[in-house]
Amino acid sequence: MKQAIILAAGEGQRLRPFTVAKPKAMLSVADKPILQYMVESLAQNGIRNIVLVVGYRREQIFDYMGSGEQFGVDLTYVTQERQSGTAQALAQAKAVAEKEFLVLPGDNLIAADTIAHFLTMKPEAVLVKRVDNPSRYGVVTIDKGVVKGIEEKPKEATSNVVSTGIYAFSKQIFNFIESELDIPDALNKMIAQGKRLNARQTDGTWLDVVYPWDILTLNDALLRQIQANLGGTIEADASVRGLVSVGKDTVIRSNSYIVGPVVIGEGCDIGPSVCILPATSIGNNVVISPFSDIKNSVIGNDVNIGPGCIIQDSVIDKGCIINGHFTACSSQTEVKVDDEHHLVNVGAMLGEGCNLGNSVVAQPGVIVGNYSQVQPLKLISGRLPDRSLVF
Amino acid sequence: MCGIVGYIGERQAQPILLTSLGKLEYRGYDSCGIAVAAGNIKVHKDAGRVGELTKVIPQLGGTVGIGHTRWATHGEPSQVNAHPHLDCSGRIAVVHNGIINNFLLLKQQLIAEGHNFVSETDTEIIPHLIEKYYDGDLGKAVETALCDVEGSYAIIVLAAGESKLVVARKDSPLIIGLGDRENFIASDVPAILDYTNRVIYLEDGDVGVITLDSIKIRQEGVEVAREEHKILWSAEEAQKGGYEHFMLKEIHEQPKVIRNTIGEYVSAAEPVADLAIMADTNLEGMLILACGTSYHAALVGKYIVEDLVGILVRAELASEFNYYPQTLAGTGAIVITQSGETADTLKAMKRLKGVGCRVIAITNVVGSSASRIADHTVYTRAGPEISVAATKSFMAQLMALYWLALSYSRIDTRRLDSLTMGLRQLPSKVQQVLDNGDRIKECAKYLSRYENAFFTGRGISFPVALEGALKLKEISYIHAEGYAAGELKHGPFALLDKNTPVIAIVAQDNTYEAMLTNIKEVKARGSPVVALAEEGNETIRELADSVITVPPVDAIFSPVVNTVALQLLAYYTAKQRGCPIDFPRNLAKSVTVE
Repeated sequence: MKQAIILAAGEGQRLRPFTVAKPKAMLSVADKPILQYMVESLAQNGIRNIVLVVGYRREQIFDYMGSGEQFGVDLTYVTQERQSGTAQALAQAKAVAEKEFLVLPGDNLIAADTIAHFLTMKPEAVLVKRVDNPSRYGVVTIDKGVVKGIEEKPKEATSNVVSTGIYAFSKQIFNFIESELDIPDALNKMIAQGKRLNARQTDGTWLDVVYPWDILTLNDALLRQIQANLGGTIEADASVRGLVSVGKDTVIRSNSYIVGPVVIGEGCDIGPSVCILPATSIGNNVVISPFSDIKNSVIGNDVNIGPGCIIQDSVIDKGCIINGHFTACSSQTEVKVDDEHHLVNVGAMLGEGCNLGNSVVAQPGVIVGNYSQVQPLKLISGRLPDRSLVF
Repeated sequence: MCGIVGYIGERQAQPILLTSLGKLEYRGYDSCGIAVAAGNIKVHKDAGRVGELTKVIPQLGGTVGIGHTRWATHGEPSQVNAHPHLDCSGRIAVVHNGIINNFLLLKQQLIAEGHNFVSETDTEIIPHLIEKYYDGDLGKAVETALCDVEGSYAIIVLAAGESKLVVARKDSPLIIGLGDRENFIASDVPAILDYTNRVIYLEDGDVGVITLDSIKIRQEGVEVAREEHKILWSAEEAQKGGYEHFMLKEIHEQPKVIRNTIGEYVSAAEPVADLAIMADTNLEGMLILACGTSYHAALVGKYIVEDLVGILVRAELASEFNYYPQTLAGTGAIVITQSGETADTLKAMKRLKGVGCRVIAITNVVGSSASRIADHTVYTRAGPEISVAATKSFMAQLMALYWLALSYSRIDTRRLDSLTMGLRQLPSKVQQVLDNGDRIKECAKYLSRYENAFFTGRGISFPVALEGALKLKEISYIHAEGYAAGELKHGPFALLDKNTPVIAIVAQDNTYEAMLTNIKEVKARGSPVVALAEEGNETIRELADSVITVPPVDAIFSPVVNTVALQLLAYYTAKQRGCPIDFPRNLAKSVTVE
């Protein structure tokens, strides 16, 4: 198998506000979009002919992935104009598909060895995994390595083995997907017609992002695998411990204390006297002023963090301006997304381009929409829509 | 203005020459041709683009050859005028970029000596001159021939029976790409990036003899060494990566270009360049010179430097400055040229240097002619720009100007802090404008129905209006004029009616109230108004027929977000009208003729 088709057209509604301006596959984790990890895993397995099915906010993918040469692969783009399900996304690639190919979701994280393990399978095949929360996914019924049926997001899961959305297909799959919206529906139809669908179970890394706080879990997992690399300027009296990567043109000023795993991008100005603790990712062109303390968080590009801030278990998207003494402490809290309540340990989640005045305090679990503005000395909580004004 | 390439090595030359020429089409593309030597010289050339030639050309076997893509200066685009040109015997072939000023005189002399000419070009005298002096040493013959020539040139010479190429340059760009048992020659780096990233830049007056494994460069008969550069762009950067046009790709690259530029300028521990000129406290005034889009950057630069550094600035067109009787001897000057090869700008630089001015060049091309003439060079990090309509290079030029002005500003700390933070936020603000593309597309659909448009602005938005109009006219062929908003009533009002939309750039600064008045005046004449204004401005919504919003930024940075919005407006308008966006008619990327 020498070709892979990656489905990266999806929006990821439950991940709002982070997916308003970018597709889910472009969410940044440990300073790289999720899609890049997938592409790199494929390249490590010698699969360099990659078709990207793009749609929602596709310019973001073009801008980052380009022709693929930077990642050692050859990218072909096909567009799904309307987001109408994974089967329809795959159907767009019919003209460029080879005889046999892999199909993968662009917004999941799969390790290179998980793919290697699956590559030995003959089409048609699906990679499955045992998980704790099967009702989020397509639950697969398997009999002696052969799939009997897939049930999408069942209320009562009959097993905890689910489809990873990773398939090995031959061109015959296109006969089944034309009239269906999603791939599992097409597969059920195929099975009903007596065609064989093999299953291979994996214990390898397969992580999915469904809710905003999943970004933190993924970030933590991926930061453990980064290459230590100290670029830029690290002033004397700054301490850097553990697995830390610092990009070029970044300055880490005196008395700063950085404990890995931490990745800091290019052109940042950190410190003096800033504390960055595990597992934190900081984008490019970020300024962090003195006496701020950040741990287990994801900070996007161009963010400006004022002095004396406490930021824990938080996601701050690009271009936010956060003035001094912002407090985003973490604790266990109930967060509501799509009428579902989730009990999670999380700090604040800020969409892009937010502007926070001095001494704003975030209640754990607050989700602030893009381009919101918060006046000084405010307490923010719950869910704020895009462009909110808090005064 | 043209692009030239050469190859010598062990591979077939033809496919390499054609691929390289394709990458140089931004320099011109009205006719093209190649010559390959294997015993004798075989030439194939015609009017038209490289892609068309590639389809019809027969296999010209051989491992050494030269090629040319042309933008007509002497003689119309035609097969006979296309390069390469040959001598009488057909044993010497030459490709040339530049202009020979004394070619008529030389041509008469050569005809009197019995040489036969077939084309109207100035170039054709070169192979005949070389033929005249050729006695077995091709390098010597080229050197001698060039002594007779007055003008500008980059040439590559191929001769039958010689396993070498001879190159020479004066006032036109030429580089050598170093391979393993092969060498590449080209007008510009993107042509050879598929093959190598090791490059030598030739200097004016250099004559080089190149074989597959050696390079000997002589300057006035004395052998000289030229430094090898590593090019950090990848060939990938010169491709389209998903986008339909280079222009849209390059517009979308701007957040990254700004971030890279800021990273390098602001965060770098080492100064990017020693700019003692700017720090001179006796400096009372300064010149900024440029042509085309770079001139609009220069005009924005005038506002930036006057505001932040507090000195008087004159921004001038380099092409006009060359005719000014006075030169302002002894002042400082900034020249802006994307390619670093713009002939008018280089001429102005030489004139300024001649009277003792200190010159800073802002250019995108490392090792370009401008960087070699200037006292100091600030490189913009825009990467290669393929689209003829400049977008990201303009943005990078603005960043260089902001950085220069902020580094030597005489403003108070409070304002400096706030502007430094504002500068760092610009990549995200520009991204926000790009994310608003669908709204701009709607306005473009509306604009595309018209044949005339005015762009107006006041203060720092005036050059933005000029740039918006230039972008629109060059790619959509809609006649567009940029006008200072206060000047409309002194004439252009006569042209306003319901068929002439006005695009008004409204900045939230001391020009705001006056702009509102101007918009009302325009509306009263029946013209549709498209306004560019900050988000949340409800007053404008009521006044204008259509509004494109941009994120709020400090007024001094407003040209950044406004220009990006106008670039997209021009792009989508041209797309709606079905124009060949990356290669508009009659235009070429860098203008190396006066």
